[in-house]
Amino acid sequence: MTAVPARSSEWVRPVTSQEPASAIIEIDHVSQVFQTSARKDHLALSEISLTIEEGAFVSILGPSGCGKSTLLYIVGGFVNPTSGAARMKGQAITRPGPDRGPVFQEFALFPWKTVLGNVMYGPRQQGVRASEAEAQSRALIEMVGLKGYEHFYPKELSGGMKQRVALARTLAYHPEVLLMDEPFGALDAHTRTRLQNDLLNIWERDRKTVLFVTHSVDEAVFLSDKVVMMSKSPGRIREVIDIDLPRPRRRNELLLDPRYQKYVVDIERMFDESDEAGPAL
Amino acid sequence: MMSPATLLRRSAPVLACIGLLAVWQAASLVLKNDSFPTAIEAIRAIPDILGDKESLINILASLRRMALGFGVAVLISIPLGLLMGRSRSVAAFFNPLLMVIYPVPKAALMPIIMLWLGVGDVTKTLVIFLGVSLPVIYHSFEGAKAVEEKMLWSGAAMGLSPAQRLVRIVLPAALPEILTGCRTGLVLALITMITSEMIARQSGAGNILFNALDMGQYDTVFAMIIIVGAMGICFDAIFERVRARLVRWSEPQFDLPLSFS
Repeated sequence: MTAVPARSSEWVRPVTSQEPASAIIEIDHVSQVFQTSARKDHLALSEISLTIEEGAFVSILGPSGCGKSTLLYIVGGFVNPTSGAARMKGQAITRPGPDRGPVFQEFALFPWKTVLGNVMYGPRQQGVRASEAEAQSRALIEMVGLKGYEHFYPKELSGGMKQRVALARTLAYHPEVLLMDEPFGALDAHTRTRLQNDLLNIWERDRKTVLFVTHSVDEAVFLSDKVVMMSKSPGRIREVIDIDLPRPRRRNELLLDPRYQKYVVDIERMFDESDEAGPAL
Repeated sequence: MMSPATLLRRSAPVLACIGLLAVWQAASLVLKNDSFPTAIEAIRAIPDILGDKESLINILASLRRMALGFGVAVLISIPLGLLMGRSRSVAAFFNPLLMVIYPVPKAALMPIIMLWLGVGDVTKTLVIFLGVSLPVIYHSFEGAKAVEEKMLWSGAAMGLSPAQRLVRIVLPAALPEILTGCRTGLVLALITMITSEMIARQSGAGNILFNALDMGQYDTVFAMIIIVGAMGICFDAIFERVRARLVRWSEPQFDLPLSFS
C-alpha cells in the first residue's frame, strides 16, 4: 500500500492559495440501525467519523449495501442517524435545507414542470423575482448543455438530459454543498463519461463542496480530491485516500497518466483483499 | 381536409349511436310490445319533456344536487386521500372505516338517511356525496402513496414545508390518478342522482322517469333514459377534455424520448 500517498489530514487546494481549508461538514460517530422485516436490527453504518473540507470534491466509494447512500442522506437531513451527529458549519443537521443540494440517481424531477419550470423552482421558493429566476435558470440550462430544451417536459428527455436538468435545478438555488447520490449510475457508459466530464468542468469553475457517492472506482478517482473507501456489514470507513492529481483534469490525459492508473489499481486491490478477508456477499 | 381514416375515427361515436338506435327500432318493431316503444317514438317525446317548464325545473334540480354532491365530495376527498397516502397514522385511522363503507351500495343507506334528514335535497345530495367520495379518496390515496420519496426530498431541500410539499408536490404528482378517480366519481354521481330520486320521489329527472312508468307513458320513460344517458356522455366527454389538458405532461404521446445524452 506504500504507493498510495500517506493520508493527509488537510486537503491542499491545487490553486496557490495558502490558507488552510476549513471543515464544512463533520460527521461525528454516526451509526444507523435499520429494522429489517424479520424484526432484526441491521447495522447499516457503524461509528462513521469524517470531516469534509470546504471546496473539496469527496467521493464515498463502496460496494452496494455498504450504507454510503444512507450516509449522504444523513448529511442531507433526509434521514436521522440512530446515534452520533452530522454537522454543517458547526450546526447540527436535523432536516434538509437549501445549503445542501441533492442530486439523485433517480433524477426526481417534477414531471408536471418543464425544464425551465424545474430549474426555476428552487429560486422561486427562495423568493427570487420571476424575471431574475428565469434569467439565471436559462443561463444554467445553457451551462449544462440543454439550451433549446427549456420548454420540454421531463418525459420527453433521455436519462442523461434528465440528470443535466436535475443538476441545473440543484445548482439554481446555490447550495453550499452538492450531495450527489450515484448520479450517473442509471446512465449508459457513453452518457456517463460525458456527464462526468461536464460535471468536472462545471465544478472546476466554482469549486463547490461536493459529496459524491459512487461504486465506480474510475469515476471516484477521476473526479475526486479525496476518496473515502467503505466496507460493508456493517458500513465502516476502510480507508481515506487523497487523490493527488493535477487539475484541471482532462480524461484523455488522465487515462494515460500512470499516477491515475496506480490509484485505480491500488483501490481495486484493496477492495479485493477485503472481499477475501470478510464474508463475500 | 381530413383523411378518411381520421373522419371515420372522429365520427365513430356518432355511428355507434345511430347503430344502437337502429337495433332498438328494429327490435321494437319485431317485438310489438306496448311497454317497448320504438326509438323514433322515444325521440319524438324528447321535445315535449324539454319544452315543459315543470320538467325542466325538475331536471335542473337534479343537476344542482349532482353538482353540489360531486363538488363537495371532490373538495373533501382529495385532501383526505392525499393525507392518507402520505401519513401512515391518517391511513390507519380512515382505512378500516372506508373498507366497511366501500362495498355498501350507497342507495341502501337512503332509508336511514331519509329517516334522519327527510326526503328533501339534503338526503339526496348526501347520497351523491357518499357515492362520489369513495373512488376519489381511493385514487387520491393511491396517487399520493406512489409519489417518489426523492421528489419530496428535492422539495424539502429547496425549503418547502411539509404542508407546501403536500400541496405543491404530492397534489400535482398525483393529479393523473386523482382525475381518474374523479371521472369514475362523475359517472357515479349521475347514477346515485337517479337512484336517490327513484327512492325518494319528490322532484328531479328520476321522478319524471318513474312517474311516467307508473302512468304507462313508455315513450316518456325511454325519452328520459336517452336524456339522462346523453347528459352522462356529455359530462364525461367534457371532463375528459379538461383532464387531458391538465395532465398533458404525463400523457403517453411523449413516450418517445429524444436521443442525446
